[in-house]
Amino acid sequence: MNIIVPIKQVPDLVEELEVDSSGKSLDREWLKFKVNEFDDHALEEALLLKEDTGGTVTAIALDGDDIDKALFAAAAKGADRVVKITGVDGAPTNHQAAKAFANALSSLDYDLVFTGVQSVEDRDGQLGVLLAHYLNLPHISVVTGVSVSGSGVNVQKEYGGGVIAEFEAATPIVLGIQAARETPRYVPVAKVRRAMRSTEMEEMTAGDISVGAGAEIQRMFKPESSGSAEMLSGSAEEIASTLADIIKNKM
Amino acid sequence: MSEVTREIFRNFPIWMQIAFYVVGLTTSAFFVFGFWLRYKKYSKGSPAGRFNNISARFFKALGVMASNKTIYKRDTYAGTAHWLIFWGFIVLFIGTVIVAVDHDFIELVFDYRLLQGTFYKWFSLFMDVAGVLFIIGLLMMMFRRSSKPKQLDYARPDRTPEEYDRSGYKKDDKTFLWLLLTIAVTGFLLEGLRIAADGFPSFEVWSPVGYIVGHLVDGLPTNTLHMYTWWFHGIIVLIFIAYIPYSKAMHMLIDFTNLMFTEDNAVQRLPLVTEEKMKKGMGYIQLEDFTWKELMDFDSCTKCGRCHVACPANASGAPLSPRDLILDLRTYSNQEFSTKEWFGQSLTNGSKKKKDKVVVAGDVIKTETLWACTTCMACVEACPVGIEHLTSIIQMRRTLVEEGDMEDSLQDALANLGDYGNSFGQSERMRAKWTKSLDFKIKDARKEEVEYLWFVGDFASYDAGVQRMTVKVAEIFNMIGLDYGILYEGEKNSGNDVRRIGEEGLFEMLVEDNIATFDDASFKEIVTTDPHSYNTIKNEYPDFGSTYTIHHYTALLCQLIDQGKLTFSKKLSHYKVTYHDPCYLGRYNGETSAPRKLLEKLGVQFVEMRRCKENSFCCGAGGGRIWMDDSKLDKRPSEMRIEEALEIEGVNLFIVACPKDYTMYSDAVKTSGNEERIAVKDIIELIEEAL
Repeated sequence: MNIIVPIKQVPDLVEELEVDSSGKSLDREWLKFKVNEFDDHALEEALLLKEDTGGTVTAIALDGDDIDKALFAAAAKGADRVVKITGVDGAPTNHQAAKAFANALSSLDYDLVFTGVQSVEDRDGQLGVLLAHYLNLPHISVVTGVSVSGSGVNVQKEYGGGVIAEFEAATPIVLGIQAARETPRYVPVAKVRRAMRSTEMEEMTAGDISVGAGAEIQRMFKPESSGSAEMLSGSAEEIASTLADIIKNKM
Repeated sequence: MSEVTREIFRNFPIWMQIAFYVVGLTTSAFFVFGFWLRYKKYSKGSPAGRFNNISARFFKALGVMASNKTIYKRDTYAGTAHWLIFWGFIVLFIGTVIVAVDHDFIELVFDYRLLQGTFYKWFSLFMDVAGVLFIIGLLMMMFRRSSKPKQLDYARPDRTPEEYDRSGYKKDDKTFLWLLLTIAVTGFLLEGLRIAADGFPSFEVWSPVGYIVGHLVDGLPTNTLHMYTWWFHGIIVLIFIAYIPYSKAMHMLIDFTNLMFTEDNAVQRLPLVTEEKMKKGMGYIQLEDFTWKELMDFDSCTKCGRCHVACPANASGAPLSPRDLILDLRTYSNQEFSTKEWFGQSLTNGSKKKKDKVVVAGDVIKTETLWACTTCMACVEACPVGIEHLTSIIQMRRTLVEEGDMEDSLQDALANLGDYGNSFGQSERMRAKWTKSLDFKIKDARKEEVEYLWFVGDFASYDAGVQRMTVKVAEIFNMIGLDYGILYEGEKNSGNDVRRIGEEGLFEMLVEDNIATFDDASFKEIVTTDPHSYNTIKNEYPDFGSTYTIHHYTALLCQLIDQGKLTFSKKLSHYKVTYHDPCYLGRYNGETSAPRKLLEKLGVQFVEMRRCKENSFCCGAGGGRIWMDDSKLDKRPSEMRIEEALEIEGVNLFIVACPKDYTMYSDAVKTSGNEERIAVKDIIELIEEAL
């Protein structure tokens, strides 16, 4: 199986986030970026599948801060090809990013596309779905395990309440990976440096990423406290009865 | 016989003398061949770069060997027994050489005998005394072995009893002692028989033991018995010679060489990874990757078990014994390089995976064994023969890191160290957040000139519990008017433990970043509260171009007391305290006096623990263990240490001088349920109280 793993850099939440002067996006100047942790799982699952059954893994990412390091790290972990998509400035929307990836994928040969199921910038996990849409491919999300089955794949998808569904799917297909079977591997610094010397970074241009649809951010702001917290005190019985009254009144 | 001498080959027909030389030369050939095989084995190792100062090395090893001081250390009984055997053997050996040279050379060439007259009398007396001391030493060792001390127990912490077999080693231990004892006893018997057969010539009183034995055997057919005993004694000696290079007796020669090639700073300053290795893959995969010194380490082990009982991992039930690690590597190297031991071991202990290509790290030595090490250096310190267990362990860890073969929590810590320069996964900008609670501003050494650069370190900067101590250090530095500054967000983890995990690439990155920041700042010397940072900045940073002097805060505070800049107004005599030496301060860097001097000035009642100074017992956090799971241990080393402190009658304070120790022991006091009995304090808290 030839697997493509789109990788995205997201703001590192370790740093304090600031909204920029437009009031519609984060002040990216002070942000630190890191690879979306779900993408790390997607890459790990792809590498495990490759180790099990052969094939290739291609890591592909939109150009941005520290992206070279992230792609070389992917190569050090075992990705066969690393591709950087240039020509996307600033912070693309999910639609634009999906389009850019779709454009690039049109000239690549693949059976599977593994995206991270979501990211801190994309909590509802749109990127994978949109990418499948632009590629006109089927899509399964919240995937926790993939194995080769006949000419297709066997996919495990997690539902709420601990329910897991198993799918038999034909390839090519886009999968949103929730968690790899194993913790994403650590790649030592020396290996990344080695990859920097020995890996050829391929470049592709994003092409036309104009999209007709998508939501637009009206305002971005920090959660506002309403100051209506009430601390309950007293014995357990007293607290319980006050609590019951509050619930009754608010319903 | 009127002459004062003895006849060599007494009453022997010529064919018998020839037979003896033939057998003797054959066994000598075994001896030479055995050591040649060992030499060939070491020559397959990688370079160790230890051929500098050869004569200094030689005389240093000679001193250690002659005094037996590393064996005497903390074990006077074993030291004395070994000293007696050692010197008894040497004197008897020299005596035998004199006999051989006298008989086979001087007499043949010059027709003169050395062994006659007064010389012979003194020679006889000397040999008899040496023989007696030799036998006493052997009996002491036999008695010790029969009392089954813990360090001689071959039980392994990493295998079930069915998974290994140490019967070969047990046989070897017995054989070695019994061969030597038989040689000594038959020697005296032989002497007695000869004296009796010669009719007790008066000058033979110079062989007092032989003379007494002679009286005991008087009346027996001494001439015939002498002949039989002579051959028996001779054959055993020759067997022993052939036995030496294939048994634990090889330590007699190899261990001197090993002592000669040890390096004082071998584990304080770990070997660099060459550029070539960095490109190919760090660490040790095959046996040939070990240096010849490390291959010699494996053969040098006498199984004395000192490292085994000193090791905190072994004591806490972790699957690591430094002794068994070295012995497994010896067995594996014997197997791979065809060097034989008569009572050897095999590695087919059920745990070795069937693989086409066996990798040392992970296959021969289990992954969990390598990760169990706290790098506390107790094994290296305890080893009487200069084995450097730790370099081998860390080289094998480098391979595990290369393979990504590690616990998730450790992986997270390394990723954090790579991303943020600290293991806490917090922003670099939060590094100096603890300074916010001060009512003064600490100078930024990157912007202002200061005398001392305070390298704060990760735990002191980010750990909520330790931050309180960090604040106190700052307040005291401020109060006594020390001209100091910190690097704020410019500081990164020093890398000491990163290097000991085996993540050399990350270590180099951290070092390069820190040195670049040092170079841009203006200060004279560095001070730190962290013994781990202290070790690497002092011993390893110079390999990367750093030229700065670093002090531990206890040493700096001592200096300030001497200069009259720090004075105490109170005596804290109401405290009965003990002090825990941090591994990286006491054992690694020999700094045991400064903290004690501070305690003395503070006027506390100070009592040492059973294990102290360079023999201190690790808290279990070093070498990256602090980022690994310790829930599977039978008992955590830190809890054992607290109990050791509580052996002291009436002790109420456990004093530490290391941020990690503060965390570990504060925790251990709680988890062992001893909060009521003892409290953990950083020495800075006492200083604050006494000001």
